[in-house]
Amino acid sequence: MRPFNFTKVTTVKDGITKKEDTGQYIAGGTNLLDLMKKHIAQPEMLVDITTISSSIKPLKTGVQIGAMVRNSTLTLDNEILTKYPLIAKAILAGASPQIRNMASTGGNLLQRTRCVYFYDVDMPCNKREPGSGCSALHGNNRMSAIVGWSEDCVAVHPSDLCIALVALDASVKVVEKNQKERIIPFKDFHRLPGNTPHQDNNLPANAIITAIEVPVNPFNKHYAYLKLRDRDSYAFALVSVAAALHLENNRIVDARLASGGVAHKPWRWSDAENFLKGKEANTANFQEAARIAAEQTKPLEGNAFKVPMLKGAIEVALQNCLTA
Amino acid sequence: MEFFDNELSTLMPAEGRVEAIAKVTGKGKYAAEYTVPGVCYAVLVTSSIPAGTIKAIQVDKAKRATGVIDILYHQNKPVVPGFADETKIRESRVGLPVFYTDKIYFKGQPIALVVAESLEEATYAASLITADYTAEVFNVDFVKTHPSIPLKAAGKERGTVDEWSNAIHIVEAEYTIKEEVHNPMEMHATIAEWVGDNKVKLYEKTQGVNSVQRVISGLFSIPRENVEVISEFVGGGFGSGLRVWSNTLMAVMASLQVKRPVKLMLTRPQMFSLVGYRPESWQKIKLGADSSGKFSGMIHQAKHTTSVFENFNENITRIARLVYDFKNLKTESAIVPLNLGTPTWMRGPGDCTGDFAIESAIDELSYKLNEDPIALRLKNIALKNDPESGKPWSTHFIDECLEQGATKINWKNRKQTPGQVTEGDWQIGYGMAIGMWTSGRTQASASIVLDKSGTIIVRTAMTDIGTGTGTAMQNLAHESLGMPKNKIKVELGNSNLPPAPSQGGSTGLASLGGAVMDAATLLKQKLATYAAAINAQYKDAAAADILLSENGISYKQANAQFISYADLWKKVDEPTIEAEATSAPGEERQQFAFCSSAAHFCIVRVHSKTGKVKVDRMVCVADGGKIINEKPAANQVSGAAVGGIGMALMEEQQADVKFGSLLGNDLAGYHFAVNADAPIIEVSFIDKPDPNINQMGSKGLGEVGIIGCAAAIANAIYNATGKRLRNLPITPDKVLLG
Amino acid sequence: MNEQTLSRRFFLKVSGAFVALAAVPSTVHAFYQDVKSFLVPPKETLPTTLTINKQPYKVTADTRSTLLDLLREELQLTGTKKGCDHGQCGACTVHVDGQRVLSCLTLTAMLPGKTVTTIEGLADGEKLHPMQQAFIECDGFQCGYCTPGQIMSAVACVNEGHTKSVAEIKEFMSGNLCRCGAYNGIVEAIQKVAK
Repeated sequence: MRPFNFTKVTTVKDGITKKEDTGQYIAGGTNLLDLMKKHIAQPEMLVDITTISSSIKPLKTGVQIGAMVRNSTLTLDNEILTKYPLIAKAILAGASPQIRNMASTGGNLLQRTRCVYFYDVDMPCNKREPGSGCSALHGNNRMSAIVGWSEDCVAVHPSDLCIALVALDASVKVVEKNQKERIIPFKDFHRLPGNTPHQDNNLPANAIITAIEVPVNPFNKHYAYLKLRDRDSYAFALVSVAAALHLENNRIVDARLASGGVAHKPWRWSDAENFLKGKEANTANFQEAARIAAEQTKPLEGNAFKVPMLKGAIEVALQNCLTA
Repeated sequence: MEFFDNELSTLMPAEGRVEAIAKVTGKGKYAAEYTVPGVCYAVLVTSSIPAGTIKAIQVDKAKRATGVIDILYHQNKPVVPGFADETKIRESRVGLPVFYTDKIYFKGQPIALVVAESLEEATYAASLITADYTAEVFNVDFVKTHPSIPLKAAGKERGTVDEWSNAIHIVEAEYTIKEEVHNPMEMHATIAEWVGDNKVKLYEKTQGVNSVQRVISGLFSIPRENVEVISEFVGGGFGSGLRVWSNTLMAVMASLQVKRPVKLMLTRPQMFSLVGYRPESWQKIKLGADSSGKFSGMIHQAKHTTSVFENFNENITRIARLVYDFKNLKTESAIVPLNLGTPTWMRGPGDCTGDFAIESAIDELSYKLNEDPIALRLKNIALKNDPESGKPWSTHFIDECLEQGATKINWKNRKQTPGQVTEGDWQIGYGMAIGMWTSGRTQASASIVLDKSGTIIVRTAMTDIGTGTGTAMQNLAHESLGMPKNKIKVELGNSNLPPAPSQGGSTGLASLGGAVMDAATLLKQKLATYAAAINAQYKDAAAADILLSENGISYKQANAQFISYADLWKKVDEPTIEAEATSAPGEERQQFAFCSSAAHFCIVRVHSKTGKVKVDRMVCVADGGKIINEKPAANQVSGAAVGGIGMALMEEQQADVKFGSLLGNDLAGYHFAVNADAPIIEVSFIDKPDPNINQMGSKGLGEVGIIGCAAAIANAIYNATGKRLRNLPITPDKVLLG
Repeated sequence: MNEQTLSRRFFLKVSGAFVALAAVPSTVHAFYQDVKSFLVPPKETLPTTLTINKQPYKVTADTRSTLLDLLREELQLTGTKKGCDHGQCGACTVHVDGQRVLSCLTLTAMLPGKTVTTIEGLADGEKLHPMQQAFIECDGFQCGYCTPGQIMSAVACVNEGHTKSVAEIKEFMSGNLCRCGAYNGIVEAIQKVAK
């Protein structure tokens, strides 16, 4: 790691004031320290914000999760478990108990890709070094995107939590450099790579994420999170699916379908959701929804398997919603 | 530091390992953990290209970083006599003459070593070093390259191919296995300290202290006894610790250069290119059988990678010549040099790879013949004689392994037609395969010391990499001497102790055990001599009749009276009584062939829509001769089976063919089995002594636990789905598209 | 049993180069003579007060220092192991304020006022913690290198109540890799303590 100056703050205001442009905020540190050790991130100062906003507040309109709430806390909180259980389910599919004890909710949104080329500073990567090229596009892209990618970047977002949050129409509360608060809809928080893949998201420079808000929803009975990976635990997704159904007498009133491991951002399968609305919850309709989702994909040379895997995962996840 | 936390050993429950308390309390010291005053830290800088020549290295910036003491590279290094010229380098057999070449052979090759006051400082300074290269053409593409490398005979052909070319049943197929990496949990590490003129002390992660001693003394032209190597706790090896690699040399060089003790621990990514790996391989099998299911012949061809600067051949086709009774057998192999680090022996080297292809082909044949795969194997296994040498097997109980395993897993519930059993979207199948390994034994020494307090110390230079060598030594000493286990201490993993071979190839205990037992006999003879001066009846006592207890010795025959250690020491001038013995294989090797074997059975579930494979049950029955410590032995076999699950389903290290870089070379990118991937592995032993191999009747176990596992799983996947998957690892994508 | 030979062709090509290089003088003094001035940031330190295994510690650490390196390199508490240094193996698991975390991804600078427990602080004097005892009895290790991390994680796993089935134990212990594959004994030990 590059030598750096270290400051701890207890308020958002202080954090924003003290952080210089060459610095970075640190919360759980589970990704940032990893990147610093590899000299991919080289901040000149770290501002420790671990003690800002770490509570889970029920609101009339939903729930507000403080940015510093630890991932594992979310899996134990009664409010989350009863009203937003998909969130807990997604978190438990990711990382390890130790990392979940450390990682913050806000930090989870800011995880950088796990694309192997991003992590090797000797190989070109537009995300790490804009303009250097994308090594994965025609290289080893087994883990890469199958939707929403560009010639400049085929990396995928690694989070599980974010897949649940995008499915539940969450929003991100941030405080900007000018100390003004702003709400960013979750689906607009992360970006597609386009020709600026070095920008993972639309968080303004020097802004702090203070909370995630999840609106009240009817998806606490029929939900599932299915994650497919190369081993049974402690691995990033090949494909993951967050599925949730609002059912009335086996008729689908509303549906949510989102995926990880497929795109540069947490991906919603809106067409498949729309298809399911008003339909009966049965295998045939689940298969059709999966087909509709898969139709939107455009796999790369090395990850064509992700398409049948995605179809299978959507079918199984929807099926699991009925038994959950 | 007192090594195996001996003061606490009386607290240890009888079933625990001798070093258990040191391990569960964190007190046991692994190589990088010794406190050495004045130690400084070394961090490697590695090449950013896979082939070429270093034009210049820019170290100026790094020199300015806080704490930097020195930077070693090809233009700033101490004299290493063993690298003085081309011939000497070749003779040293260390492979990479680190810092004594400006050539780059693979990406990740060490080009500089920063030595600094702290680890943080050394790590940062290392990141500031850059190099200019003249890049050269490179190749890391095994798949594209191997077809152009011609095969050569590997061993003498048995019979002819013509004799069975018209066999009624023929299976012909190709198999591939991606590169696998040992990745012991402890990264390779050294603390090197020159403790005097021409004298160096190493705390080293290795599987063999005497081998490190030999290599370092040779390279630095100093007497062997001037190199002390300490490896009391070793955090796994699986073969990566059998060679002396560049990291050890660099630590020794750095310590010589800065005249201080130097600690060098590789990073995890460096573990993927600098300390070996199981090479990527291709195999082709052609297997023929007559209508009765008797094998009529086999052609086994294999190729695997090596580096461009060393020829490593792991002999994949060797196992073709070992297990089945082939009258006609042709084995051929080739190695494919690529710009990668040199591969090395990894758990079940060669055989593990070859076995996957052969056992998969036999399984395929069994379906063609519509015959139970166990019955087919039993019909063809060379149960009486080693088919290669013709010598009778001393003992060989693979038939019993098969029988027991089949019963345990309820093999009778298996359906002969694949794809018959489903549970929702899951398809369920049974699979099995066998593994074998020649039971080697080499010369090893041990000593046993009795002190005045009535404590026994058993000593050897051999390391215990987690196999339970120390515990076995304690058990053997206990059985031979009669002394309670809590009065028997063990000292090992130090080159000052009686010499022993490296721990590898399942030879550790088989080699060492005899020496411990011989030393026990010698010690008892010595004691009898001393005792005879006190009580004449001891005069004729055979060693076997002497028993040691906490307080003294007794003579089983003639009710000879007990002699306390206090009385005994009145007749002994020395502070301790010591006996050392060396044991080695002998004539029995002329008469017999020796082998260990195992039968592996499993039940897998395969998800038809997502390609997920789950091993539900895994049963391993092994013949390792007499089992000295049941728990550690079972642990070793179940652990090997976990390795087998990894090999079958997930382990794979890839390189980018355009850039020559390893991809995802860390523990997030390279998957081996986590706890959730493995079922509770069910292990049992035949536990019959081999009367000829050594005094204990023990054969090795370390390799047979893994050899055969991957094929058993692949065969079960076929039984579940009807998909014959011949390329490891069988990740979900291969199942889906298969 | 196996062959290992040196391929000649490459070293013959390099011989000229390294013979010449061997003559370069290499004293530390000479090494520093031509140092040019670069802007290299100096190291920064920070005083931190924390409790480790019930002992108060005041350390002035490099801001870059992780808890793992602090324990192993500064405080000689080497029971906590380094297996990857990147949060990918669990060998460095310790408890901070009673929760299992990875010390390799924890900066010392972030620990003021925190309470750390390492494997060295688990036993009560000479009396082993029940989990340590269970690991011995169930032979929940081979080489022992991942063991302190496994035990710290196992203690937390029991405290968290994730022990209702073998599958649950396995899932909640999957953040601790064991290359020896001693998972049988690890699960058995946890079951034993959870009873």
